[in-house]
Amino acid sequence: MGGHLLSWLTFAPTVGALLLLFARVLMSAREETIRRLALALSLIPLGLCIPVLMRFDPTASGPQMVERAPWIRFFGFNVDYFVGVDGLSLWFVVLSALLVTISILASWRAIDQHVLEFHIFLLLLETGLIGVFVALDLFLFFIFWEVMLVPMYFLIGIWGYERRIYAAVKFIIYTMVGSALMLAAIISLYYLNGGTTFDILAITENARAGRLALAPQTERWLFWGFALAFLIKVPLFPFHTWLPDAHVEAPTAGSVILAGVLLKMGGYGLLRFNLPLFPHATEEFAGLLCALAILSIIYGALVSMVQPDLKKLIAYSSVSHMGFVVLGIMARTEMGMQGAIFQMLSHGISTGALFVIVGVLSERRHTRVIAEFGGLARPMPVFSALFGILALASVALPTLSGFVGEFLVLVGTYTSELAHARAYTVLAATAMIFSAAYMLWMLERVLFGEITHEENRHLPDVNRRERLTLIPMAVLVIVMGVLPNPILRRTDRAISEVKQAAHGAVLVQWESPGWRMPNPALSKGAARERMGLMRRR
Amino acid sequence: MESLGITYRVIGPELVLTVTGVLVMLLEAFSPGKKVRDGILAAAGVVLAGVAALALWDEGPVMAFSQMVIADGLRVFFTLVIVLGTLLTILVSWSFLDEERIPPGEYFALLLFGTVGMTLLVASNDLMMLFLALETITIATYVLAGYRREDLRSTESALKYFLLGAFSSAFLLYGIVLIYGATRTTNLAEMARIMSGPLEEAEIVLLMAGVAMLLIGFGFKVTTVPFHVWTPDVYEGAPTPVTAFLSTAPKAAGFAAFLRVFSLTFAPLGIESAADQLASHWVSAVTAMSILSMTFGNFVAIVQTNIKRMLAYSSIAHAGYVLIGVLARDWAAVAFYMLVYTLMNLGGFAIVALWARRGDKWVLIADYAGLGFRQPLLSFPLAIFLVSLAGFPGTAGFVAKFWLFKSAWGAGFQELVLIGVLNTVVSVYYYLYVVIVMFFREPKEEVPRIPLSRAFMTTMVVALVGVFYLGLLPTRVFAFLNAAQNLLAIGAR
Repeated sequence: MGGHLLSWLTFAPTVGALLLLFARVLMSAREETIRRLALALSLIPLGLCIPVLMRFDPTASGPQMVERAPWIRFFGFNVDYFVGVDGLSLWFVVLSALLVTISILASWRAIDQHVLEFHIFLLLLETGLIGVFVALDLFLFFIFWEVMLVPMYFLIGIWGYERRIYAAVKFIIYTMVGSALMLAAIISLYYLNGGTTFDILAITENARAGRLALAPQTERWLFWGFALAFLIKVPLFPFHTWLPDAHVEAPTAGSVILAGVLLKMGGYGLLRFNLPLFPHATEEFAGLLCALAILSIIYGALVSMVQPDLKKLIAYSSVSHMGFVVLGIMARTEMGMQGAIFQMLSHGISTGALFVIVGVLSERRHTRVIAEFGGLARPMPVFSALFGILALASVALPTLSGFVGEFLVLVGTYTSELAHARAYTVLAATAMIFSAAYMLWMLERVLFGEITHEENRHLPDVNRRERLTLIPMAVLVIVMGVLPNPILRRTDRAISEVKQAAHGAVLVQWESPGWRMPNPALSKGAARERMGLMRRR
Repeated sequence: MESLGITYRVIGPELVLTVTGVLVMLLEAFSPGKKVRDGILAAAGVVLAGVAALALWDEGPVMAFSQMVIADGLRVFFTLVIVLGTLLTILVSWSFLDEERIPPGEYFALLLFGTVGMTLLVASNDLMMLFLALETITIATYVLAGYRREDLRSTESALKYFLLGAFSSAFLLYGIVLIYGATRTTNLAEMARIMSGPLEEAEIVLLMAGVAMLLIGFGFKVTTVPFHVWTPDVYEGAPTPVTAFLSTAPKAAGFAAFLRVFSLTFAPLGIESAADQLASHWVSAVTAMSILSMTFGNFVAIVQTNIKRMLAYSSIAHAGYVLIGVLARDWAAVAFYMLVYTLMNLGGFAIVALWARRGDKWVLIADYAGLGFRQPLLSFPLAIFLVSLAGFPGTAGFVAKFWLFKSAWGAGFQELVLIGVLNTVVSVYYYLYVVIVMFFREPKEEVPRIPLSRAFMTTMVVALVGVFYLGLLPTRVFAFLNAAQNLLAIGAR
């Protein structure tokens, strides 16, 4: 197993899905057995994350635990099975494994039809999720990127709520438009790089060394070919309209995975591809994307404020939080990008858990309308405490995980060389007030006050299984908020390399016509950033 | 006789198929109605034809019968695709023959004669031979399309197919005559040689008119817009196993001929020559056909309510994708695509045929409501074939499409690739619509349980294994195609 740790991690869920099928077909296992077996099987990849984390060397450059074997040959395919983790992908792999287990726990009672198929799809989805993050070959990456859509489509379409079909179709068509253009961009990039390899590292290295000399117009096209797919996934305003529908209609497990992992693929993709490969185009469009990110942040927060439905509120809050991610990435300072990754992890856990919370409520009351609740703190004290912690983590209360991410993004943006960096920072910071407003107001209406509906008076508090689901998440947001360093230390190296690639390439073509000159205040900005970093340490 | 190049070995597959066909027909005449015997005999003949085709491998590119017939990599690979298509069709027809009380010997014999035409089309190195082969195919398939005599739809389908087929054949023949007028030959190798030099003004005009006619004729046979009008009606009306056959094997053969004539013989050489003068014209004409087929096929498929019509429009759209490969002049990509398409389309149609039941009655997409969890052995394979048709990674459909798009991008058809990838998004909508109906909708009435025959299960296993094998580990087939590419006689790139 030693040399193939990542392959085991990636394909253990697929093997698990097959085992589940055998358990039903050969041993006609009952639904309860299927659930337990699925839970046990989902613990295997989670357990495999431990040796991955232990072996990971934060000081090493480039991917680790690499596995590489020729896969498809002839006719210029030259596709390798090439996987590895680096600082960019490490934590997302862990997050994916964690959230699948959480999803299975959260669906224990909610899913009572087609239990076998549900868990098979969930496990197949997990392979896709982990695969996207470990793939280091463009072809392989694209396969995982798309394969994951099919189980997600089924999860929303079969086990979702009333408008599930509409939501599932909207989700898949939106994402497919993005990935179809990304496919064209991948093919184009392959030829521009000499038509010999799909190896992401080799192409990145060529880009960094200036060997991938792209004409400005080509680079712009390619930038958008990739960026559109990622921005739809993130989702950035105005590409976000699929998200509220998908979130609201998906079953709890679907929402957890969507918010927790799928959206992160957008941010991951921007860091992995757009910044290092197309630094000039990034430089050119960073302002536009930051502006859109600010719009997402404020728009998402404002729309959240008026939502009567709990799930929709959290869905729109995701748009707002993910705006911070794009802002941090496009600031292209180490702090900004670190913050973006941290924010993605924090959002994955806190929002994932909030969807579980909504699931707990709707299992009990079969409604998610905020006005139906109120005063839940009395009948459900443990639940309310957990809800409070997770909601505050989402609001970015200091000492909870959300704060670290958003703070880093804000500082990173402030110290960046973007034009109007300060204005962006100020605008983004106001959204933190909005987010406090909608979350606290929601908490107030759900948990506090008098009990307005009789059926709420005797709602049972969280049971053992629900505690098992929610308490680790609450602990995680606290730990991440107090001790962010174990996470940041492991992403540090990869981030600084992305930054070098992005900035280095801009410097190489300093004199080249057709590009806006980089900000002459570069040295000043760098100094400012160093100060920022010192402050952080 | 040696001077005429009569070497029977070179037409081995065709000989085997003809003999088997005649044998099946005779047996039917003397002791009728023995399905298992006739079926196994037919299948054995088809397999043997495949072996005979493989035996041509070591011959290298050879021509025989006054250079009318050629044995090269393209022929061998496409013959194997056709053999696969026919073999699966025999399996798909298995229970259909009983249900409809069709004399099996006759049916299998027609299938075999149609297959002879196809393998001959793939082997032809002469426009006359090509025409002869096409006619052999169409005569057999006209009869097959009208096989349910008492059903009006089937008769209508056969008649439409016949009239429009005859029409397109006339175009083709006229084109051949005009080309002969310009180049004084019908032999493709000779034609390529003549066209590598300059031709006179009047000859060029004649040549272009001839090629345009040829393009119309081919356009009919491989169902490309604007010559597609017969497709939905014929596909809908013909018995479903026959539709399965029509949409795969003859199409593969048609594209093989298309490739041989256009991509290889009429290929631009980059020098001052008749071929280059011609190429710019046919390339733009085929580009238009490709864009129209993809876009029209996909958008019209969205609004279909009958699954056979939907698959007919999808087949038009796929013809559009394949034309991109013809334009890129990458015959290996086209060959791989046709192999994959044969597997996934026949697999899909096998399920459609089974679900349609006696009299082809249950063919509306709405009839699939609730199939999902009630008969997972039907619904999950169908979902997989549809997902593969839509080109999702992990399935063969993706590798095939990726290859086509990649070659086309490399050959400078970037706009076509962009139109192609956006079209696949459109196609996702209607392919997954069937999945929605199967899994997400509840049926209006009780869903019957359909018994699954052994023949059906075999088809499923072959098609599913093929779809995943070619989707995940295509290297072996690629290696085979790579070797085949080195066995091209004319126009090798």
